[in-house]
Amino acid sequence: MLEGLGSSLKDALKKLAGKTVVDRGAVEELVKDLQRALLQADVNVRLVMQLSQAIKTRALDEAPPKGMAVREHVLRIVYQELVRLMGSAGDVKLGPQTILMAGLQGSGKTTTTAKLARYFQRKGLKTAVICADTFRPGAYEQLSTLCSRINIPCYGQPGEKDARLIVRNGLKEKENAEVVIIDTQGRHALEDDLIAEIIDLNIMSSATHRWLVLDAAIGQKASEQAKKFHEAINIDGVIITKMDGTAKGGGALSAVSETGAGIVFIGSGETIDDLERFEADSFISRLLGMGDLKALMEKAQEMAGETEVDVNAMMRGKFTLRDMYKQLEALNKMGPLKQIMGMLPLGNVELPADVYDVTSTKMSRYRIIMDSMTAKELDDPSVIGSSRIQRIAAGAGASPDEVRELLKYYKNMKRMLKGVKGGGGKFNMQRLMKRFGGT
Amino acid sequence: MFEGLREKLQKISAGLEQGIRSGSATAEVSEEPGQEQARKDPNLLGKVKVLITDREFVISEKEIAESLAELELVLLENDVALPVTEEIIAQVRSRLVGKRRKIGENVDILVISALRESLLEVLGEGFDLLSYIKSHEKPVKILFTGVNGTGKTTTVAKVGAFLKKNGFSVVIGAGDTFRAGALEQIDVHASRLGIKIIQHQQGADPSAVLFDAVQYAEAHKSDAVLADTAGRFHNRVNLMNQLDKIRRVMKPDLIVYVDEAVAGNDAVIRAFEFEKTVGADAVVLTKADMDPKGGAAISIAHTIGKPLMFLGTGQGYDDLVAFSPKKMVDELLLEAA
Repeated sequence: MLEGLGSSLKDALKKLAGKTVVDRGAVEELVKDLQRALLQADVNVRLVMQLSQAIKTRALDEAPPKGMAVREHVLRIVYQELVRLMGSAGDVKLGPQTILMAGLQGSGKTTTTAKLARYFQRKGLKTAVICADTFRPGAYEQLSTLCSRINIPCYGQPGEKDARLIVRNGLKEKENAEVVIIDTQGRHALEDDLIAEIIDLNIMSSATHRWLVLDAAIGQKASEQAKKFHEAINIDGVIITKMDGTAKGGGALSAVSETGAGIVFIGSGETIDDLERFEADSFISRLLGMGDLKALMEKAQEMAGETEVDVNAMMRGKFTLRDMYKQLEALNKMGPLKQIMGMLPLGNVELPADVYDVTSTKMSRYRIIMDSMTAKELDDPSVIGSSRIQRIAAGAGASPDEVRELLKYYKNMKRMLKGVKGGGGKFNMQRLMKRFGGT
Repeated sequence: MFEGLREKLQKISAGLEQGIRSGSATAEVSEEPGQEQARKDPNLLGKVKVLITDREFVISEKEIAESLAELELVLLENDVALPVTEEIIAQVRSRLVGKRRKIGENVDILVISALRESLLEVLGEGFDLLSYIKSHEKPVKILFTGVNGTGKTTTVAKVGAFLKKNGFSVVIGAGDTFRAGALEQIDVHASRLGIKIIQHQQGADPSAVLFDAVQYAEAHKSDAVLADTAGRFHNRVNLMNQLDKIRRVMKPDLIVYVDEAVAGNDAVIRAFEFEKTVGADAVVLTKADMDPKGGAAISIAHTIGKPLMFLGTGQGYDDLVAFSPKKMVDELLLEAA
């Protein structure tokens, strides 16, 4: 996500590399590129103008701290201003609560409702959903199908036209659930009767949270819509959906600045687990091409609860085939490799396409091959010579070439992780973040 | 719709007029003491010459630069994508700069016509579905495509209602076999409208469903087949290949690309990708009631150069408006003209 924006920013910043004094021309050029990038990401025009003005003034007026290169100085200002624009992440408490979903037609409320239910379920909370969409045909079937796949109770009264009644009954029915999520009909801010309805639903359910669901592709209208929703039910969280497309999600930032509510989640795919917590820091790190360690760790820890896999193997210095075996198992659960890699701080490195190109069938082949290896081979792959390759291949029912391919993949992986750990070099994220932290 | 944009465009037109007027004012002043200045600036000399000989003014780039920059912001604020905005601005500029106008000629008309020309050029012609169906061999097969959540299914229902009202017989093919609840959704629409629907169960091959729908229409001599499909993102290769397969199997006469009026810059990217992979013959812009300013219409039309057929303007079956570019631009520039 936001790759396009990230790369144009990188281009802009490149122009400052190697400069020793802040040069007005370069800063102006940077700001102009930044403006273009943000406008193309659908960030509100007025916000863009404010932001670029602030960055320009600060970059030219503030002296770089001692020992900091001009490029890093400007990068830091850009980073800080962007963080300020995004605000902090919305709060998500893991406790009893009622969540009211609101949003425009087709923004993905129902899918997100199911994803959220899954999220809270995984955190060990008893979760239930209520379908209060009385308008769209098939809405109840959609939600109940999604929920039955993950064993979440779903309350609804298909055929009933009064959403207020459904919510009242649903809350009574599901009162022993810890988290109740109410899915509502899509509506937009200019439909007065529907706005009146959601105000009623909010009061009736005394919802703990009212989250606005926004399509990543939404343009300049996001501002106005968010404002109206905020006036009606006091939005306290924003969810951006469809971040797996090419849209950059800048429209949601307008909603954030309009409501003062933080972004709580990001939807990034069609399956039930494609929901990430939002964190401004990670969002911008990714934006600037610095990867997102935090999100990866959070996801990894959650997975660690389910399997006894040592996911930290990825981050550890010693990386053996055994680690890779566990990792492949973990990756299967964590989602597509590309998604995971997107979260790693790989800086401007373009990973070779074939690293991603390991399909799940190939992964299971790899695991079979590794099952045919001895403990020694798994711990120290360097002992594997051609005769061992023959034996492994025969044992796994694979061809020697497949074994070699696996070894090659392992080597690539190892080399890549070395870069991630960042003992030095330009991709050392920890060092960079530490500097940013010194606001 | 488009009120907001119109208001702002009018303000801009006023700005442009002012630019041209003040430009011409300075030219008039320099007419008499102009010799010395004219030597410094050869353009000015030319200007003065034109002024004296033909009693005309030449519009310079500098005079309208500020207004154009403002116009650019207005278009951006109304969700016209950045590259599209830049092109429209460049067009208006090239239409105005260097143009001569006679002293008595109304500046308004010049500015408005430059804008009108640019916008009309971008929007192209509308698309008349009824006469298309009348003039083609039946059944006319129409495939609806687009990303998730733009309103394809609702649009299929609305178009079905529209055709039925105009006396055509219609069959709907329930090609969204992926999303939970999609089959129920289109089924309810069809039964409410009294339209025959062909569907398989959830997870079935959409190509097979739509092929069956076409077969049914041929056997029953229906006038049109409306093929709904699952929403898909243009960067999902497998799903786009599936769509391509659907196209090969059902051989649609018309591919209608559906997108929403609230979309921002991404509208350009996805329209381009859909057009590239499976083609598009016409565009339906939904949720125009949400974003009455309609910048996305300009973005999409400019990107793929295909006509807009309908605007979706609400949740009822009748909330479907035939798109007419002339009417839109006229309305946009009504009071300014």
